[in-house]
Parts: sequence; C-alpha cells; structure tokens
Amino acid sequence: MSGGAINRVVVVGNGIAGLTAADTLREAGFDGELTIVGDEPRPAYSRPALSKALLLDGDDVSSHELPPTGHGATELLGVRATALDLDRRLVSLDDGTALPYDRVVLATGSRARRLSSLSEELTLRGLDDALSLRGRLAATPSVIVVGGGPLGMEIASGCLAAGCQVTLVSQGVPLIVQLGPHLAGVFVRAALDQGLTIVETGSARLERREGSARVVLDEGAVREAEMIITAVGDVPNTEWLADTGLAPQGVIPVDSHGLVRPDVAAVGDLAAFPTPYGLRRIPLWSSAIEQAKVAARALVHGHDAPPLRFQPYFWTEQFGLSLKAVGYLPLEGEPTYIEGEPGGGPALMRWSHDDGAGVAAALNYRVAIPRLRRMSQAAA
Amino acid sequence: MRIVVDRPRCEGHGLCEEAAPRLMHLDDDGELVLDREEIDEADAALANAAVRVCPVAALRIA
Ligand SMILES: Cc1cc2nc3c(=O)[nH]c(=O)nc-3n(C[C@H](O)[C@H](O)[C@H](O)COP(=O)(O)OP(=O)(O)OC[C@H]3O[C@@H](n4cnc5c(N)ncnc54)[C@H](O)[C@@H]3O)c2cc1C
Ligand code: SF4
Repeated sequence: MSGGAINRVVVVGNGIAGLTAADTLREAGFDGELTIVGDEPRPAYSRPALSKALLLDGDDVSSHELPPTGHGATELLGVRATALDLDRRLVSLDDGTALPYDRVVLATGSRARRLSSLSEELTLRGLDDALSLRGRLAATPSVIVVGGGPLGMEIASGCLAAGCQVTLVSQGVPLIVQLGPHLAGVFVRAALDQGLTIVETGSARLERREGSARVVLDEGAVREAEMIITAVGDVPNTEWLADTGLAPQGVIPVDSHGLVRPDVAAVGDLAAFPTPYGLRRIPLWSSAIEQAKVAARALVHGHDAPPLRFQPYFWTEQFGLSLKAVGYLPLEGEPTYIEGEPGGGPALMRWSHDDGAGVAAALNYRVAIPRLRRMSQAAA
Repeated sequence: MRIVVDRPRCEGHGLCEEAAPRLMHLDDDGELVLDREEIDEADAALANAAVRVCPVAALRIA
C-alpha cells in the first residue's frame, strides 16, 4: 500500500456518507485521530425523512433524527472546508485553521439546484428548509412545485396533504425519467385522484413581475401561486476542491473502491463511481452508505479491501403509495406481476433490462429488501 | 446491549436486515423480527451498522 502510515484521518462533510465513513474507519481498525468537519451546525440527520414524514407528521418533528454516533471523532460543526492541499495533505477551514491528514474522506454532498436567485424560490435540501416549509404550509397557501422527479412529487404530495391547492410543473410526464412509463403512470393516476394539477412543459423559468414571483412555461404561459418550490436536481458541493483538479466537471470520479488516490476517498452525492452503465453519480441514501463503507475500508486496507458491488435501492412515498425498488432504474416496458395485478393495488413486480439484469419493485407491499434483491436476480 | 424497534415508525425498508442479517429479519408480512434479545460484544458493530442504516431512525440501541 502506498498511502503511508495512518495516524490522522479527516472526514469533510457530516452527512450520512461522512458519518458512515467515520463509523466504518473505526470498524476497519483505525484507532488514530479522527476529525469530522461539517458546515451544518448540528449532528447528521436523515434527509429522506425531510420530504416524507417530516412534512406530514402532525407534531412529530423527530423523524429525521439519527441515533447518537459511536466513532468518537472530534466533530467540528458549523465549520466549512475551503480548500484541500493534496501535496501538503492539509484541509483548510473557514475559521483560518488547517487540519493535517494522512487520509481524507471527501463527503460534502450536494445542494439543491436553483432556477433563479429570487428569494421567493424555495428549495428543500436541509433541515432548516424543511422546518420553514412546514411552517408556511400551516397557512395552506396555493403552491406551485417545479420539478416532476421523486422529490418534487413527494413535496407536492406533502403540500396536498397539508390542505394546499397544488400545481406541479413537470418537464414531460412526472417520474417517467426516473421510473419509466409503467410506474410513472401508477403514481400520476394516484396524484390526479388526490387533486394534484399537473402541467407539462419544456423548461420552465422563474421571474419576478410587479413584486411577485411567477413561473413561466416554455410557450410563454404564466402560472402564479402564493408559494413556489423548485425540486430540479442537485449540484455537488465541490467548489472548495476547484484547485485540486479532482472534480473536473464538478463531480469527483472515483475507482471501484471509492478512492481518488490511495490517501483520498470521495463518497456520497458528490462522487461518480463505476457501475454497469459507466461512471455514475447515484445520489441516494443507500448509495451514500455503501460507497462510504467500501471507501473507508480501502483507505485503511488499500485495494485488498472488497470493491463496491452496488445494487441500487430506491424508495418513495407519495399520494398514498409507497414504492421500493431494487436494481437500476428507469424501467422500460411492462413488468411481470409476481404478486397482485396492474391497477395500483399492492403488488410485487419484476422487469428485465436488455442486458439481462433485473429490477424488482414493491408497490404498497411490505417486503424484505433481501427478498426483493433475490427477486431482482431471479431469471425472468 | 439490546436493539429496540419503534414499531409505528418502522416502514419495513429492511435495510437493517441487509446490514445485520444475523440479528434481524423481516417476516413474510414485512414486520421486523429481532432474532437476538441480547447483543453481545462480538455483534455490537453489526448492531450499530443496522441502527445507522435505517432511514427513518426506527431502531436504537438500549
Ligand atoms: C428532501 C430529500 C429527500 C430525499 N429522499 C430520498 C429517498 O427517499 N431515498 C433515497 O435513497 N435518497 C433520498 N434523498 C437523497 C439522500 O438523502 C442523499 O443521497 C444523501 O443524503 C447523501 O448523503 P451525503 O452524505 O453524500 O450528502 P449530504 O447529506 O448532502 O451531506 C453533506 C454534508 O456536507 C456539508 N458540507 C458541504 N460543503 C461543505 C464544506 N465545504 N465543508 C464542510 N461541510 C460541507 C453539507 O452541509 C452536508 O451537511 C433525498 C434527499 C433530499 C434532500
Ligand atoms: S431499516 Fe428501519 S424502517 Fe427498515 S425495517 Fe429496519 S427498522 Fe424498519
């Protein structure tokens, strides 16, 4: 192994990827000095909960909390990393100090992509965003959600459940890009049944006219509402690495061990790792966890540690439906129904990609993920 | 140490089972079943991994 002795490890980013990396470093036997730097002034929490239970659950504002950590790291919270010096092995912080390291984990995640710089444009990425949305929804404003992906649809669902009138502005059929036509159809029907207004357009933009913000559709038509929320993708937080050349297109390419070089790992939403479909960023919860586990072990044990063999797991809850899917999305064509039948009721389904790889999905059906995995791998 | 499940919160993701199949599994109805009452030292890391991976924080160590 070429990384040298390991006395000090710095983890930059205190999301689920950074947290899992820290835990796994300890499990892999690293007992030296461990420091986590995170710019949010609070312990790591579950982001998936922000657009689900947290928007919905009456008085419960704890669904995002994670159990206390056991890695015993020094946590520098509310502190931002501003630069990385690969030669001198230093992470510079915004308080003017710098942390030396023998190994570093880059896990600064991503942020919401915005369509404008207008203050009326709300997004949902962090806990503060979620709490502020919750607060505003109490007054049941009319809402436009821009973005027909899983997050936009979950937000629209939450706003509807809060009693708001909601319009979803989507580039094409909602969810079709992420899930494929069959499942997108199931969700769109459920959404329409619950009273969602869906507007399909090319690319929408936001503008301010006479003091209020509005959404302009591609043919020039205009939509207005008391609240505008966008959910149009995420942008990796890699600006602080600009001088290192590690993030050529804003994303950090890594090898199958999550490493950029023997002493540098990159994990979570900011990393593109090898998949059967090429180098890909898979900005999802279990992806962040799996990447972090593999990379932390590789930092300690080098390439003798097992590589990433990631099987995507995706879930969403919206409009009274819950979906769990194992395998690479989206899904073309019609599934085989293993349990249940078409129509949106409880069902277990399976698809085969052209290359033979399978995907199994459970709709409103409680099933163990290992069982779904076995179903996805079973020959069609 | 023991693992405690917050039943109403558990959504049956089963990610915990993937992390620690020796300690827990989802039954045919998708209900989480803990297979060990007491977790010993040897399985502590597994138990922690299972608790951490749950995206709705339905598990904790007591
Ligand atoms: C509302 C919402 C709902 C979601 N729902 C699902 C879902 O249902 N299923 C699913 O699989 N995935 C879901 N995701 C995606 C999932 O939450 C992410 O993939 C996962 O949280 C990524 O973890 P991460 O640690 O890589 O990044 P993050 O969680 O973004 O953590 C990175 C941390 O680093 C901090 N940071 C950034 N820059 C710096 C810096 N320079 N210095 C120090 N700290 C810095 C950030 O503030 C942040 O705290 C959802 C995401 C959101 C926002
Ligand atoms: S991961 Fe969490 S939600 Fe899923 S089965 Fe385990 S405890 Fe329940």
